[in-house]
Amino acid sequence: MLRSTKAVAAKAARAHYASVAGTPTVLSTANGIKVAAMPGPADSSLASVSLVINSGSRFETADNAGAAHFLKAFAFRNTQDRTSFRTVREAELNGATLTAEATRENITYTVQCFQDAVPYFVDILGDIAASTKFTEHEFRDIAKLVAFESLAARSNPVARAIDGVHQAAFRSGLGNSLYALGSSPVTTGDAVRQYAQAALRASRVAVVATGVDAQALAGLVGESKLSLLTNSAAADLASPKAKFTGGVQQIYESASPVSHYALAFASEPGVSQALANLLGAQKRLKWSAGVSPLAKLAREEGFGVEAFSFAYSDAGLAGVLVSAPTAQIKGAVEKVAAIIRKDVAAAAPEAVQRAVAATRLDVAESLATQQGAINALSKLAFGQRPCTLESVDEAASSLAQTAANVFASKPVAVSIGLSQTTAYVDTLGF
Amino acid sequence: MLEVVARTLQANSAFRALCRPLASTWVNLSGYRRLGLKYDDLLREETPIIQEAISRLNREEIDQRNYRHRRAFQLSLSHQELPGPQWTKAADDVKYLQPLIGEVSQEFAERDAFNSMSTVRK
Repeated sequence: MLRSTKAVAAKAARAHYASVAGTPTVLSTANGIKVAAMPGPADSSLASVSLVINSGSRFETADNAGAAHFLKAFAFRNTQDRTSFRTVREAELNGATLTAEATRENITYTVQCFQDAVPYFVDILGDIAASTKFTEHEFRDIAKLVAFESLAARSNPVARAIDGVHQAAFRSGLGNSLYALGSSPVTTGDAVRQYAQAALRASRVAVVATGVDAQALAGLVGESKLSLLTNSAAADLASPKAKFTGGVQQIYESASPVSHYALAFASEPGVSQALANLLGAQKRLKWSAGVSPLAKLAREEGFGVEAFSFAYSDAGLAGVLVSAPTAQIKGAVEKVAAIIRKDVAAAAPEAVQRAVAATRLDVAESLATQQGAINALSKLAFGQRPCTLESVDEAASSLAQTAANVFASKPVAVSIGLSQTTAYVDTLGF
Repeated sequence: MLEVVARTLQANSAFRALCRPLASTWVNLSGYRRLGLKYDDLLREETPIIQEAISRLNREEIDQRNYRHRRAFQLSLSHQELPGPQWTKAADDVKYLQPLIGEVSQEFAERDAFNSMSTVRK
């Protein structure tokens, strides 16, 4: 197996990965599974292995809406060879942490462990990929967890606003909710199995590791059940290419005295983080609002402004979330919009410089963490470009121009509050 | 020793062929099929293993099982049998619960093994 691996992304090796030791290597096994790994610092025996399946909620259709959430929740459950009880107990004996995460793009099962336990956990990840049972009695268990997670997200206005922003901006595909709603057509373990079978094609699967040598990892993957995955004729998943449509979501919510309003602009995925920093609502200085006009406004008027950004394989979003007492929300949003149009779209060179510096710090800090490294490696494995210091510097030279274009375009808006007191996006002057 | 002999005999196809007519007579004589029950309905259900196995049946199987039980109780109380055509047919008398019981007892044994093990530091 080792001999059949081939380097497919040599240029990745040139990228500079801040304080994480070593450069990433991406290989491909005989059956086409991508293997991406980054060696850790020489004095650390810490490692992580993740099974990344390119089958997040953007690949759901009307017939299986919510399946990605259920597939995430089926992490580390009974397989043909192992009970989930055994997996959990043996992970405990190794002191390992098992986590599962679902994003709009990927479902990721991660094991954090020591380097000597990596072969064992690659075997387990192979088991999960090739032979999870998806039994009905487990599904009934999992459905409770999924229902709780969905309910928790529905009752969190920030999560709801972010979900709404995606729905308004992209409609289907990336617009799909991350959560399986009560009305989800997925009601049996069999339905989840069908989604998993379509998702677990070799070309959709990557094994990503930190603190491990890529060649050795490719060897382990070749010996595990992951080598049984194929690009069979079974229907593949497909997601419509992200297209920013623009729109409004008005969610009537009278129970809370606080209203929320999200404004999001379409951007290239590579610059969305820098644009969010240019909006500059984050409080980076503890005792001062800094010089960011949005942060100053929020402090003077006494409401909350938070910038957010999202970067996907084919689209990006940057925007702000305004939270204010229901009586004030309209005025707050109008002032925020005016500042974005006036000050942020025509940002001074110093403001751009501050945004670039902040983004560099964010990226360096993220890459120095295990989670950040896993995210970057997942992107590399699927042939996308992760955010690195180089990519930030490249975007920096044209950031002012980009901001002028992006913040003059029509945003999407999500309002959670009373329809009588909220602002409407067509009155904000974009 | 006895177990080994039993297992060998069970695996022996000639012995099985010899026993089969006897076995079906025996089962028919035992009478549960005349009350519309299946063999797996008779297993003692007051154990944690079988309780767990029953909880893994799907809704339809549970409903059918409860219906068979209630019908059998009623027949037994009124000292009646089902009319001949409604007796459980040999083909319908399938082991719907025993595979689950096997699965669950393996899981219980595994749990016991983990709970009583000692770790060896290398």
